[in-house]
Amino acid sequence: MPWIYLLLSAGLFMGWSLGTNDAANAFGTAVATRVVKYRTAIIIIAVMILLGAVLFGHESIAKLTSIATNNGVLATEETVEAAKAAGELEALRLKSALKAFIIFACAGLTVFIMSYLKFPVSANQSVIGAIIGWGICYADYSDAEILQTNLGEIAEFASTWLINPLVAAVISFVLVFLIKKFIERHLTSMRSYDIIVKVGYIAAGAFSAFSIGQNSSASVTAFYYDAGGANLLSNARLTAIIGGVAIVIGVLTFSKRVMMTVGSSIAEISQVDGFVVILASALTVLLMNKWWGLPVSTSQSVVGAVIGAGLVSGVKKVNFGVLRNIAIAWVSSPTVAGLLAFLVAIATKGYFGA
Amino acid sequence: MFKKNRTRALIMDQIKDVENTLVAFKSFLKAATVPETSIETLKALLKGVNDGEDAADASLRAMIDSLNGGAYLPSTRENIISIATSCDKIANKCESVATMIVLYRFTFPREFAEDIDKIYDVTAEQFALLQEAIDMLFSRMNELQKDTTVLDKIRSLESVIDKIELKLGDTVFGSDAELAAKMQTFGLIERICDISDIIEDIADKIQIILIARKA
Repeated sequence: MPWIYLLLSAGLFMGWSLGTNDAANAFGTAVATRVVKYRTAIIIIAVMILLGAVLFGHESIAKLTSIATNNGVLATEETVEAAKAAGELEALRLKSALKAFIIFACAGLTVFIMSYLKFPVSANQSVIGAIIGWGICYADYSDAEILQTNLGEIAEFASTWLINPLVAAVISFVLVFLIKKFIERHLTSMRSYDIIVKVGYIAAGAFSAFSIGQNSSASVTAFYYDAGGANLLSNARLTAIIGGVAIVIGVLTFSKRVMMTVGSSIAEISQVDGFVVILASALTVLLMNKWWGLPVSTSQSVVGAVIGAGLVSGVKKVNFGVLRNIAIAWVSSPTVAGLLAFLVAIATKGYFGA
Repeated sequence: MFKKNRTRALIMDQIKDVENTLVAFKSFLKAATVPETSIETLKALLKGVNDGEDAADASLRAMIDSLNGGAYLPSTRENIISIATSCDKIANKCESVATMIVLYRFTFPREFAEDIDKIYDVTAEQFALLQEAIDMLFSRMNELQKDTTVLDKIRSLESVIDKIELKLGDTVFGSDAELAAKMQTFGLIERICDISDIIEDIADKIQIILIARKA
C-alpha cells in the first residue's frame, strides 16, 4: 500500500508550518532590521536545522512515542506482537498512521486557526495538546498506572509553561548583565558595535536554528514511527531527518513574511540584547529538551528571554499587557488542539475503538 | 579591539573640506561687512567658497562610495550618509549666501560687522565641537554615550546665535531703510544663522545614533 505514505502529509505540513513560523525566532529580528540578508539567513537556518535533526533530533522520539502510546495513539508492544502473530500488522500499521495523521491534522489546524486570529502559537505545544486530547477519549484511565503516568505527564507538560520561560529569563538576564559588564567597553565605535551585532546575530541565529532541528524535528514525524514496523517509519534517525527536511522546506518557501513582521513589544531592548535573547532562548530550548526529553516551545523561551533582557534595565521596561495576551495563547494552543483531537476521537471511536 | 577604518578617514576628510569652505566664507563675510568692498573682490572671494564647496562635494561622494560592502550595518550606513550629507549642507549654505550677496551686489552696513563676526565665530566654535563629536562617534562612541557635553555645548551655542539674530532683526527693522532693503538684509542674516541650525540638527542626529546603540 504505497498510498499509505500520503498519511505523512499531515506531519510534513506541520513541519512546514513550524518552519515558516520558527525561522522568525532564529533570524526574524536580524532580517527585519537588515543586519543579515534574508537569503543568508535561510541558508544558515536550513543547514543548522538539518544538522540539529541529524545529530540529536531522534533523541526526543522515545519519550514522544511513549506519551503517544499511553494516550492510545500508538500501539503497545503487546498489540504489535499480537498483530504480527495474527498476520494483521498491515491493518495495525494503517490505523497507527491514520491516528498520527489525525493528531498532526488537529495540531496543524490549531496552528492555522491561532495564526489566523493573530495569536502567537506553539506548534510543539499543539502536538502535545492533541495527544492529550486524544488520550482523554482513548487512554485506559481505569488502569491506575496509566492514570498516574498520564496525569504526571500532563502536569509536567503544563509546568514547562512556567519553567521554560523562567529558565530563558534567567539565562538571558545573566548573559545581558555579563555583556553590559564586560563587552560594552569594547564597543568603542560604530564599526565595532556593528561587527559585534552582526557576528552576534549570525552566531545566535545559527545556534537557534540548530536547537530548532534538535528540539522540533522529531515532534512533526514521531507518531509515524514504530521500531517494530507497526507504522510508516521504523528508523528513528530517519524519522527526525524527514521532520527536519519538512521544517527546512517551510523555512525556504514561506518564512519571509513572518520574519519581516517579527518585532516584539514585550520589552524595549537594544540590538546587542536582541541577539543575546536569541542565544538565551536557544540555550534554554536545548537544555529543556535534554532535561525533559520532549520538545518545548521556542516561542515561550523567546518571550522569557526578552523579559530577562528587559529586566536588566528595570521592571518598567517590560510590557506586561503584551505578556498577558501571550500567556493566554500558551494555554489556548494546546487546549484548542486537544479539544479538536478529542472531538475527532469521539467521532471515529467506531473505527479505532476496538 | 577593532581596526580603524577607511570610512572614518574619509568622513573626517569631508569635514575638513567643509571647514575649509567655512574659512573661505569667513574671508568673504569680512569683506561683505565693509561697504567699500568692490564687487570684483567679492567675486574673487566667492571663488574660494565655491572651490571649498566643490571639494566637500567630491569628498562626500568618495565617502559614500566607501560604504559599499563595508563592515557597517545598513542602518549605520544610512546614519553615516545622513550626517555626511548634512555636513555638506553647511558648505552649500555658505556658497548660497555668498552667491546671493554677490548677485545682490550687497554689503552689510558697517554697524552690523561686529555682530556678523560674532555669528561667524560662534558658528565656527560649534563646527569645531561637531568635528570632535563626529570623530568620537567613530572612535570613542562609548565615551560620547557616557558624556554628551560636546553635543550639549553645540545646542547652547545655537541659542547664543538665536539671540544675536533677534538683536540684528530688531536693529534692521527699526532702521529708516526701505522695507525691501530691510527684508533683503535680514533674509541674508537669517541664512547665515541657518548654518548654526544645521550644525545643531547634526548634533541631534548624533544623539539619536548614540541612544539607538546603547548596549
